[in-house]
Amino acid sequence: MAHRLVEHVGEIELALDAESEAGLFAEAAQAFAGLVDGSEASGPGPVQVGVSLAARERPLLLVEWLSELVFLAEVEGFVPARVAAVELDGGRLRAALEGVLGRPRHLVKAVTLHGLELEREGEVWRGRVVFDV
Amino acid sequence: MGASSSTSELERVGECVWELPAASRPDMRVPVRVFADEELLASIVDDRSLEQAANVATLPGIVDASLAMPDVHQGYGFPVGGVAATETPDGVVSPGGVGYDINCGVRLLALPLTADELAPRLEALVHELSRAIPAGAGKHGALRLGAGSFDRLLREGPRVLVEELGVGTAEDVERTESGGCLPGADPAAVSARARERGFGQLGTMGSGNHFVEVQRVDRIFDRHVADAFGLREGQATVLVHSGSRGLGHQVCTDYVRLMDAVEARYGIVLPDRQLACAPQSSPEGRAYLAAMAAAGNFAWANRHAIAHAVRETVRRVLGAAAAAGTHQVYDVAHNIAKLERHGGRELCVQRKGATRAFPAGSDELPEAYRAVGQPVFIPGSMGTSSFVLVGAPGSLELSFGTTCHGAGRHLSRTAARKRVTGGELRRELAEQGIVVRCPSNPGLAEEAPFAYKDVERVVEVVERAGLARRVARLRPLGVVKG
Repeated sequence: MAHRLVEHVGEIELALDAESEAGLFAEAAQAFAGLVDGSEASGPGPVQVGVSLAARERPLLLVEWLSELVFLAEVEGFVPARVAAVELDGGRLRAALEGVLGRPRHLVKAVTLHGLELEREGEVWRGRVVFDV
Repeated sequence: MGASSSTSELERVGECVWELPAASRPDMRVPVRVFADEELLASIVDDRSLEQAANVATLPGIVDASLAMPDVHQGYGFPVGGVAATETPDGVVSPGGVGYDINCGVRLLALPLTADELAPRLEALVHELSRAIPAGAGKHGALRLGAGSFDRLLREGPRVLVEELGVGTAEDVERTESGGCLPGADPAAVSARARERGFGQLGTMGSGNHFVEVQRVDRIFDRHVADAFGLREGQATVLVHSGSRGLGHQVCTDYVRLMDAVEARYGIVLPDRQLACAPQSSPEGRAYLAAMAAAGNFAWANRHAIAHAVRETVRRVLGAAAAAGTHQVYDVAHNIAKLERHGGRELCVQRKGATRAFPAGSDELPEAYRAVGQPVFIPGSMGTSSFVLVGAPGSLELSFGTTCHGAGRHLSRTAARKRVTGGELRRELAEQGIVVRCPSNPGLAEEAPFAYKDVERVVEVVERAGLARRVARLRPLGVVKG
């Protein structure tokens, strides 16, 4: 699994590779955590967060997943450290996250649909998403 | 992504105006019109902003042209610095055409003292501003309203803060674009999640390119208009840049998602999914306009609350007389959709990273400015000047009364961080005598002055194109970054 930030003049574009679709969602969470790094834990130890989401198609489910992380970071100060589990079933996602309550350094405002991609190429799942920052 | 547009098809149609004909692509309904000189145009064609402006030209109901301001740069969906006007009531409205930070904008305060008089207390003032105005991600402000008052604020904007909390003045509200209140706002159109994100954020700056900057008026270009705006050479000013925070971000998120789901029902086919839109007259279009207006009113209230914190800080650092004499010049939005009359038509003008710039005589302007025109504020970057402009007479015909909103980025955040560290930039700015407070070194580096185009050139082109005229130049003395 891997991710990289693609050059974009105004925003942040994220490219993702993974061996499975669930792995790609996990990698997206790790990439998001990297964007909000520098957070200092302000709570007592790691916290667990469960997420359950639905969307009418898988690429939109990726947007919903990252949008949920944006919300948790902004409202709760939650920064994911580890994705314990991701289950995809049709248009539904269930996930378990571990992380810390801290001070996200550089909050993503939103997750756009611009250039949104999620597809399988041979044995590799590839995704692309642009954040508004 | 849209089909590519050949820059070789650009035609020069004025000294600083270029046009990509509607025939360039089969899906374009109107041409693209770009306001730029040769140097800015070279930067514009270097990224995807022209292609994105061509994509905007495909929107159903768009009239005249898809416009690109001199500071335009690549965004998502609309370019940043893009303008589209659509017919009412059945032309489309696109949440992405307003952007996630609904009613992001700029407010200018003028202090009753010179920068020289301020100098001995400058560092203390900047430091205390950084303590008084929460910056960075999330961050909760000092102002809290009950649920009923919060709904009223979404409907009516900053006047609620004046009437219910004694925050700011009625004159501040009057000297705000649209009186700080977009009509038709409906709190019921704002989701619970949007409320949750925004409820505690009143009076907070946010992150990214948001700032509060202490400045010196270092040059007056038009003394008559500057007098009307209450500005004089050497004066100290404070410029506030912020928006609707998490509330606006979530409103846009909610309605992009909704319109993406329903646009096929209206037969809409788009070259970029982020342009998701619906007719203004549709249930989805009406709901978005009502929610966007609520978020816009929240943004004006947010900048109003920040301005109050600035005045209170001035009171603590410089005394009661300085606070009492601090007056609001104006407040402008640069991410918003508004119903306006142009050329006898009612249009929905969608400005994304673009500022309304109405000329003298407009009924939309407060009495104090009706004879001279609308103030417009163009922030530069931390180490460069900002500008006060005034709407020019030709702007209504040329650009639906619109001008640029800033210098415009030309380097990505990653590229900026590769060229300088936050620590190095702090030292460089300090050597220029600029006091900086920023909670994040990487965040500071991303906003380095060299990441932006030359603001002096941008405003010169604005003036040559006839969109607005220069009134004053403001030099940074101290910056609090989000």
